[in-house]
Amino acid sequence: MRRNRSRTRAWAVVSLLIGALFASSAWPGAASAADPIKIGFGMALTGGLAANGKAALIAMQLWEADVNKKGGLLGRPVQLVYYDDQTKGATVPGIYTKLLDVDKVHFVVSGYGTNLIAPAMPIVMERKLVFPALFGLANNEKHNYSGYFQIMPAGPRPAIDWTGTYLEVAARQTPKPQTLALVGADAEYPHNALAGIRENAKRLGFKVVYDSTYPPNTVDFTPIVRVIKAQNPDVVFVASYPPDSAGMVLAAHEVGLQPKMFGGGMVGLQFAALLTKLGPKLNGIVNYDFWVPEPTLKFSGIEDFLKRYQAQAEKAGVDPLGHYLPPWAYAYLQVLGQAIEGTKSLDQQKVADYVRTQEHDTIVGKVKFGANGEWATSRVLQVQFQGIETTDIAQFHKAGKRVVVWPEQYKSGKLIYPYSSAMK
Amino acid sequence: MGARSFGAVALAVVVAGLAVTRVLDNQYYYFAGYVVLQYVVLATAWNILGGYTGYVNFGTPAFFALGAYTAVVLIQSLKAPLAIQLVAGAIISGLLGLALGYLTLRLRGVFFSIATLALAVVLQTMFINWEYTGGARGITLVRPASAPLFGNYVQFLFVVMLGLAVLAVATAWWIERSWIGRGLTAIRDNEEAAECMGVPTLRLKLVATTVSGVLMGLAGAPFPYYVTFVEPTSVFDLNYAVNSLAMPMIGGSTTWIGPVIGAVLLGTAQQIATVTISSALNLLLVGLILVAFVILAPEGIVGLVQRLARRSGERTRRSGV
Repeated sequence: MRRNRSRTRAWAVVSLLIGALFASSAWPGAASAADPIKIGFGMALTGGLAANGKAALIAMQLWEADVNKKGGLLGRPVQLVYYDDQTKGATVPGIYTKLLDVDKVHFVVSGYGTNLIAPAMPIVMERKLVFPALFGLANNEKHNYSGYFQIMPAGPRPAIDWTGTYLEVAARQTPKPQTLALVGADAEYPHNALAGIRENAKRLGFKVVYDSTYPPNTVDFTPIVRVIKAQNPDVVFVASYPPDSAGMVLAAHEVGLQPKMFGGGMVGLQFAALLTKLGPKLNGIVNYDFWVPEPTLKFSGIEDFLKRYQAQAEKAGVDPLGHYLPPWAYAYLQVLGQAIEGTKSLDQQKVADYVRTQEHDTIVGKVKFGANGEWATSRVLQVQFQGIETTDIAQFHKAGKRVVVWPEQYKSGKLIYPYSSAMK
Repeated sequence: MGARSFGAVALAVVVAGLAVTRVLDNQYYYFAGYVVLQYVVLATAWNILGGYTGYVNFGTPAFFALGAYTAVVLIQSLKAPLAIQLVAGAIISGLLGLALGYLTLRLRGVFFSIATLALAVVLQTMFINWEYTGGARGITLVRPASAPLFGNYVQFLFVVMLGLAVLAVATAWWIERSWIGRGLTAIRDNEEAAECMGVPTLRLKLVATTVSGVLMGLAGAPFPYYVTFVEPTSVFDLNYAVNSLAMPMIGGSTTWIGPVIGAVLLGTAQQIATVTISSALNLLLVGLILVAFVILAPEGIVGLVQRLARRSGERTRRSGV
């Protein structure tokens, strides 16, 4: 009797399971409506770009949480699916095919950096996917792919527009400086930047008196700076990665290099680590940036985002300021989210068309893409470090320390010229 | 394994690879499989010099990168097909192997290893400053959309790498069984004694460096189309040196099958770790497995199996007595 009852119970459970299975397959629409919209990407969580990659990931997870708090996209929750690309291009094809063919993500976005975006391009092009990208320089130049969108505001001619602004600032000073020294590391970004600045120098009539590169692992920059000083240039443009940027600034102070303008393309002077290391030595340097806490750049949502990012950053051991990459990592997902909502569709073509044709309201301001997927007009800022007296990080949260001197639209103060006057 | 059985297995592997492309459409497996097979070629190539001859080569990235950059030059200048890229990559890297042999094989032990490491640094510096191949900025290459007989170029690349892996393993198998292999083993065991016994040590070492270079160049030649963006830091990655050394160590460096076992095990483990646990653990994984094998099974998996088989044979003999 007892055996019969337990057998009946077992059959009931099996029938229920089969019933549930049938029900779920009979109304796939009802089941998939609750399924998350998956967005996949590879991100540098180890290797050379890990510090920035981790910071970007925090920003992206904040976007995921924000969207889900508001009910998701098209009534479905959003889920980020990501893998560590180890800052190695060779891992990228495997990661993106895994995301698309195994994890079945609905959309993919790029990881951080030119070298990590490039290997994903053939895969997204082959499948005609929309591809928002995070901080790659001229990745679409050869492909001219219509689904590619670069959130970094370098402008339609990235290498040229990026660096052009520095010389534009110099060219507007009276009397106009005449000679230019160029120096950068033997690496991907510096070579791109130097190629751009050479063209701009020609266009704006600067005479290049020094043009050289140094090996990537250089630690002593004093000899390089001494040679530059011997040429006595009016303007010095440096294209460097963070450790070299610190080395160049320290060497310039040690040697007493005082051109009329100094800086330009130094990566690292946007991060808390170098800002607090160099402190007052930064005064007077004019360098590129994408966002700084100046009153002219207070876009809707940016302050709230930074507050939440900064609360997590310390725990995660990444850049505690988060002014450089994180807002853009949040913004490129905002663009994608707005396009999905705007088209009410997951169709790649429709979403790509929407991204291309519409202006997007993001925490980094209004974003409008041009024909090649770069920003329609460059918004690379030139900021001058002014009035830095200590190495305290708190000062960099406030306005007035990195004054925007270019472009006119976002200008928040006057350039102190020449460099020697601003050093004090 | 006899020549006939080896040939049959090799043919079966190639046929199986081709058959897979007819039934499996998921590209992920081709990309992941390509990487594992690439390591089979690199580990086997490394083992010809490092395992058979006993000369530890840290310059794998140099040969691999030279193969890759030869392909880049040919794509840039002539839009050459992959077959030409492979042949050219093999020849150029083979010549580098020969030159390296002439210049450094009089060095022994750690001094030879340092010289190979220096070779990678010198070549990397050269490519950083050669604008034609993209310099430090790197170069984007557009991969053909499809290949004849294959629906997709990635499937084609997978089959090409499978063919190269079979070629590399067959070369190692032949060397091991020929007088060259015996000569190389003699050099590894005692070079002076081998020289005294009339083994042409220098000539054999040159054969080893050249063949090793040819195979590494072959592994590098399809890389530009695999990754579509070539820049010095990625092709000269030290990982190639570490993995191509660790794989034969784990599998067993005295036989042709050792590097294959090591590459398949470690390469697959790394591919799985990348998309499951954390790729931060990748190198840690290699390190820990390497340490474990050096302590517990210094002759690798093949040596361990042989040792266990010997022991069980002895036990059977004893119990039979």
